[in-house]
Amino acid sequence: MSATLAGLLPAARRSPALMLSLLLLAGFAVLILAPGWVALQPPYAVDPARALQPPSAAHLFGTDDVGRDVFARLVHGARITLGLVAGALLLSAAIGGALGMIAGYAGGWFDLAAGRFADMILTFPPIIAGVVITGVLGQGAANLVLALAIVYLPTFFRIARSGAIAEASRTYVEAARALGFPGWSILLRQVAPNVLPLVVLQFVILFPLALQIEAALGFLGLGVAPPTPDWGAVLEQGKNFILVAWWLSFWPGLFLLASAVAVTVLGRALRARLGGD
Amino acid sequence: MIALIARRLGSAAVAALLSALAVFLLMRAVPGDIVAQMLGQSGSDRSAEAALRGFFGLDRPVHVQFLDWLGRTLAGDLGASWYQGRRVTAMVAEAFGVTLELGLVTLLLATLLGVPLGMLAGIREGTRLDAAIQGFAMLGLSAPVFWVGLMLLVGSAAFLDWSPPFVYRDFSDDPADNIAILILPVLSLALLQAAAYAQFVRGLMVAELRREHIRTAVAKGLSPRAIYFKHALRNVLIPLTTFMGLILVQILGGVVVIESLFSLPGLGRLILSGLQGRDYPVVQGALLFVVLLAIGVNLLVDLLYAVIDPRLRR
Repeated sequence: MSATLAGLLPAARRSPALMLSLLLLAGFAVLILAPGWVALQPPYAVDPARALQPPSAAHLFGTDDVGRDVFARLVHGARITLGLVAGALLLSAAIGGALGMIAGYAGGWFDLAAGRFADMILTFPPIIAGVVITGVLGQGAANLVLALAIVYLPTFFRIARSGAIAEASRTYVEAARALGFPGWSILLRQVAPNVLPLVVLQFVILFPLALQIEAALGFLGLGVAPPTPDWGAVLEQGKNFILVAWWLSFWPGLFLLASAVAVTVLGRALRARLGGD
Repeated sequence: MIALIARRLGSAAVAALLSALAVFLLMRAVPGDIVAQMLGQSGSDRSAEAALRGFFGLDRPVHVQFLDWLGRTLAGDLGASWYQGRRVTAMVAEAFGVTLELGLVTLLLATLLGVPLGMLAGIREGTRLDAAIQGFAMLGLSAPVFWVGLMLLVGSAAFLDWSPPFVYRDFSDDPADNIAILILPVLSLALLQAAAYAQFVRGLMVAELRREHIRTAVAKGLSPRAIYFKHALRNVLIPLTTFMGLILVQILGGVVVIESLFSLPGLGRLILSGLQGRDYPVVQGALLFVVLLAIGVNLLVDLLYAVIDPRLRR
């Protein structure tokens, strides 16, 4: 796993796209860790006298309808948007991965029941499942995280399950069983370390997709509550002024696009290194 | 073949039933139903509250409500909207007409755009053209659909001095307005799906052109056209049918956001407004329809696949 990650840097030297993506991701990491260093203006300071100003030296990305600096809002929004997506996928990976591993290793009624549950979630197109869950639960970061986590639960479940099934038939697992190791010990010490890379890879692959849904829910007004500068929410706010102030919606979309592209390129490089298809 | 259909229908029915139950329970587990919305925050009038709950049947145990709804649904009756009083079946049918038109035109455009692009990239693997098409695919897949829609709206207003009409008109009602309204939504959805197609078809084509029967065809001196279209494309078409189903389900999801952006009265808008008003019959009916539609598309694709590839009929 760590060897795979270490191998990324030499690979990036050969691939400009990967290099650019890693640089972009590093840039987003700075925005997440220290937004105050990048954006000199505050993201919430209202100034009606400066409403709807086009991009200028004073306001790099212009100002919104109540005079807030769009650049500052997007810089501070990185932590919210990317953090919510990462948190939701982490939750989904932990629960879905654990359930999938147990189902794949143990089989039986648990496998059957969990599989039916996963199928049930999969009957909804992902965005519709997200809309229904957030639409019922209401606005808020916790509900958004929960919705995204539920939407991707089946994917992690299936990946971990098939990984566990493949591992369970290996000779070393059979040997451990013959030696009388308890099931949970085999699961944690033998199966889990081999299933983990699959789950991590899936996390990276799903990230841009989850980001799209997070932004879409924010755009529909089902995401975090205003005035939080979530990228999707900023985009939605600009919708009403789109014909007089294009910059309100243009920049957040560009941030979403750039982060999605960067993570997608990273995901492909990881997949190629892990020897998948 | 019949066994396959029966098995798939069986598991699809279980999944649909479970998802209907999940929606039913989710909506009732959360505080704030239609009665709470009607009475507002005051909520002091206990007798009015109880009477309204009784009127909507919300005072009964949840399992009784569900079985009652399920029984009526199986008989083809989805009930009436609690806000408009209209039959849910009629509302869903009307909204589906809008979504279907949007979806089918999008599918057509995405296929016509994406498949040739993917084939071209695969045939010219490693060239600048390939890199350009892959770049397009990457951008198309990563750009938020609603953002593309908004930018198209800005672009057409700024550069073409044109904006679509904002009140939806049916095709039979006013064909010109109907088409004008659908141009931008279709374009924004089709761009994304064309990108998905291009990427998928490119991968298939690259793998196909490395196979031995292609090398044989090249050695026999067949023309490139015969090789690409007769020998390679034919094998690419099989996985492409499955992919088309996936694209169709994705479009079905994508319309929710696009319909909201362009004020189209389709299924997505129906679900959203139903959720906002806690109009349970509308939400349940529309969602059941969407789920059955997605299941139906997948089932159809599986059957089509079995028809094309006899090995899968077991």
